[in-house]
Amino acid sequence: MKKEKVARIAYYPYRIISVALLVILFFPGLNVARVSGLINRSTSLLTTGFSYGNLISNFGRAFRKGWVLESTMRLLNLSSLAICIGIIACAVGACLSLGNRRCKFAGNLISTVGAVVSACSMGGIWSAYFQIAATTKPSKVEPMFQNFFYIMLILLVLMVIVSIAVLFLVGRPEKDEKFEMETRFKLFLMFLPFIVLTFVFCYLPLWGWRYAFFDYKSGDTLSMSNFVAFKWFAQLVRNKSTTRDIVNVMKNTLAMSGLGIATSWMPMAFAIFLSEIKNSRFRRFVQTFTTIPNFISWVLVFAIAFCIFSTDGFISSMMINLGIWTEGKNFLMSGSNTWLKMLLWGLWKGLGWSAIIYIAGISGIDQQLYEAATVDGAGRFQKMWHVTVPGLMPTFYVLLLMAVAGILSNGMDQYLVFENSSNTTQIMVLDLYVYKMGIVKGAIPLSTVVGMLKSVISVTLLYVANTISKVLRGETIV
Amino acid sequence: MSSMASAARLEARAEREYEKRRSRMMKKTPGDIIFNIVNYTVFAIFTIICIFPFYYLFINTISDNELVRKGLINFVPRGIHFENYIRLLQVNDLFGAFGITLARTIMGTLFMVLASAFVGYLVTKKEMWGRSFWYRFLVITMYFNAGIIPWYLNMAMLGLTNSFWAYIIPGIVAPYNIILVKTYIESAIPGELEESASLDGASHLTIFGTIILPLSKPILATIAIFGAVGHWNSFQDSLILMQSAPKLYTLQHRLYIYLNTTSNLSALMSAGSTSGISKSVLDSALNGKVIKYTIAMVTIIPILMVYPFMQRYFEKGIMIGAVKG
Repeated sequence: MKKEKVARIAYYPYRIISVALLVILFFPGLNVARVSGLINRSTSLLTTGFSYGNLISNFGRAFRKGWVLESTMRLLNLSSLAICIGIIACAVGACLSLGNRRCKFAGNLISTVGAVVSACSMGGIWSAYFQIAATTKPSKVEPMFQNFFYIMLILLVLMVIVSIAVLFLVGRPEKDEKFEMETRFKLFLMFLPFIVLTFVFCYLPLWGWRYAFFDYKSGDTLSMSNFVAFKWFAQLVRNKSTTRDIVNVMKNTLAMSGLGIATSWMPMAFAIFLSEIKNSRFRRFVQTFTTIPNFISWVLVFAIAFCIFSTDGFISSMMINLGIWTEGKNFLMSGSNTWLKMLLWGLWKGLGWSAIIYIAGISGIDQQLYEAATVDGAGRFQKMWHVTVPGLMPTFYVLLLMAVAGILSNGMDQYLVFENSSNTTQIMVLDLYVYKMGIVKGAIPLSTVVGMLKSVISVTLLYVANTISKVLRGETIV
Repeated sequence: MSSMASAARLEARAEREYEKRRSRMMKKTPGDIIFNIVNYTVFAIFTIICIFPFYYLFINTISDNELVRKGLINFVPRGIHFENYIRLLQVNDLFGAFGITLARTIMGTLFMVLASAFVGYLVTKKEMWGRSFWYRFLVITMYFNAGIIPWYLNMAMLGLTNSFWAYIIPGIVAPYNIILVKTYIESAIPGELEESASLDGASHLTIFGTIILPLSKPILATIAIFGAVGHWNSFQDSLILMQSAPKLYTLQHRLYIYLNTTSNLSALMSAGSTSGISKSVLDSALNGKVIKYTIAMVTIIPILMVYPFMQRYFEKGIMIGAVKG
């Protein structure tokens, strides 16, 4: 009885260490196998193990000149592979530890073997390091020893110890015991891969916020020497040209989102007036064809804009054919009324689509309300205003609040495709600015700061909008 | 009995006639007539604005290229030929981009739909360990993101830059679609069905495969169509992640590059890879405009082709989405 209690406690470090080891595999910064400066900075231990081609991509010259032996890199590759597989075995063991004694025992066996293999393979990396350190050309090969090696080794040895401990504490299961696990854990394990994917692609990027506090250029490492605390945050306020940029960008962002919000009643009006059309074939026709633009990408919208509004597009050739203009005009290259044009393109693309939810809403309104209104002598417009509109208001409020919460996120596709040298100052919205600054110009820390502030403000706005909705309507929107 | 039935019929007829008279009465006021004319006209104009560009684009790709160059094709196609489409086959990198986009659309949609169905089913299981926590963990990601730069650095760290898998793997878990499936399973599939199956000893996986998957086809079709359109249209991931792998550019990205080059062909050639456009295309004295239009048309056509199928599903999708998960 007591033995089982100890085992139950021992399983906690067992699971925690397995998860930690598994996470380490994905971080290039924690790659113990990066024993030479020639190995790409962004290779994780997993890549080192599973992709030999990636590992030796910079070693062509070193191999030819004999600075590094190919066998050394093979050794490094195979050791990393063994470590990876060992750690994955530990993780499998940790998963199985949720089951009955039979599952636990099998898991313990697997993880013990895995941990031992991994720990031994660390020796392979150790010896690969010494082979590389003995190179004739240290300036080119840059041998380096990762101090994290020791921490990793300690973790692996701990894993070996804990694995063996639980192996003996749990003991051999009865011969006729079957593999079994409680339903709740079985379901959880089926869910686990998707949790991991979500973590990796949605939560892990948050770890990238640390770049906001460093003086970082692509390819650098983060260390205390380039830690700058809040320098980039201060630059937003102190540096004149940055401040000017930001103010302009905010102006554009708020203007375009504001125009979007100001016209957010239009889908509702579209739906209400469309439902007044009694010819169902015509109604269907309108609904079908006004929805199409929603399904083409912004690049294609730009292609459409190009064929209608460019120098040799529809408008220009019409005007020339009619003899009104002598030569074509390119509307896309002008910087006037950019906000309005973007709004109109947005409406062209989205109006028919956004109306669908209201159309569905109208069909859900109780017909008796209309009959009662008719009896009371209400005309067409009175019925629209006093019956239909109030019926659609809840939907409208929710969408409006969502729009207010997303006021900083206009997306970047639309503005990126329509941007050119003559309209760039009017079209630069926040998302596009962050992209241009970070990806195109390589100012990673500053753009991270802007993106970070944007995310925080957006989440706050959403929270506020949700609270307002809860107070006013007693219903949350998210 | 028969007298009662005939009385009911009479009553119904009277009612129908009353309705007819009423509606005729309502239509007769001049205000209503004006309203109807204006209403019909406005909707007709907006519909034309929505579809005319597609038509214009199309007639310009099939008309005589010389007339197109002079800007004489505005409403009616003239000198119809389909050579432009055939010539596009000679634009090598376009062919590759088409393949990449098709591959990502099929694979990405398939994985996303299967994952959404499976996860949507799992989160309906109340007995799962920490269900509500993990469900929130998943759903909350719809409302925040770290920003584009950390996302890019994260993808680089995972080795997903310049790799085809960057198109597929991040899209597998789609929280919104998971909510849709979950809502659908909870509302449309009777719980007794599952219960009786599990009493018969069916495992969760069996139940998923034999009951849930077949019965949730309508909602899966909906999310599949939306997912496929999203994949077909996606452009940002190609732009940001594939910077040094032009072979993996999507069709939209290629189109963007072509549209942004000036309209002479030499520029169009240098914009693509070196193999850009073969000499025969150059020789045909084709102007850049037609090539751009044709590429755009090729990119639009698949969407227009699946559109009739989509229409049936998207209203359903919107309505289920309006019900919170």
